[in-house]
Amino acid sequence: MKFNMTLHPNQVLVIKLYGELDHHQTEKVRAQISKAILQGNVKLLIWNLEQLHFMDSSGIGLILGRIRELRAVDGQTVILNPSETMQKIFKFSGLGGLIMEGSEQNVILQARGIVNG
Amino acid sequence: MDNQMTLTFIARSENEGLARVAVTSFIAQLDPTIEELSECKTIVSEAVSNAIIHGYANNPNGIITIHAIRDGAAISVAIKDEGCGIEDIEQAREPLYTTKPEIERSGMGFTIMESFSDFLQVESNVGIGTVITFTKQISSARTLVT
Repeated sequence: MKFNMTLHPNQVLVIKLYGELDHHQTEKVRAQISKAILQGNVKLLIWNLEQLHFMDSSGIGLILGRIRELRAVDGQTVILNPSETMQKIFKFSGLGGLIMEGSEQNVILQARGIVNG
Repeated sequence: MDNQMTLTFIARSENEGLARVAVTSFIAQLDPTIEELSECKTIVSEAVSNAIIHGYANNPNGIITIHAIRDGAAISVAIKDEGCGIEDIEQAREPLYTTKPEIERSGMGFTIMESFSDFLQVESNVGIGTVITFTKQISSARTLVT
């Protein structure tokens, strides 16, 4: 699957996912994403899902796994622009509170405020 | 019964996408909403992933069969494997319960399948296999049929 990662100033990492995220795809991207989090010393991870057309519970496993890695450095997670079906899946899984809507730039600014608190 | 299809494939994770596309195309005949379509797609994905990861423990020689039936406005889809079976179905259906946390399975599969279907049946016998059957009414078709 296509995905790209951009490391912004202040240790903000944006991961943009495209297409379909299932068990098959998560197995392929997990290691790369994990490595970027550790190497970038990431404090805020934004999953931009606006170009993701499908996700099942494998996506929940992938995001929860990264939340665990970020916990060690007090890193925060934002789930940006998920589809309606994905929103339901996140809510069932207790991740509804991480959902935000809007542009990447606005969320980076807003979330930085939250992080720097 | 108005229409039916059967799809058989081996338990390789590449085929998860194939299963979703086939069932999605079958359901598209009923002119479902985007939500209905994507919920059905998610249920199929969860059931097929379960068969591959748990039923066959990633042994790609396993066979998975999907049988879909359309009856009026209702869709019924059965996803069957001949894998190891589930010892305790009730426990497997509990939210967040997983036997494979090491590969980051979230334990949300059954909760999602139950929430997105109108009815979900899980039949499983240890050593024989598992059949997950879901039914869902498609709203646009419902108004056409009545």
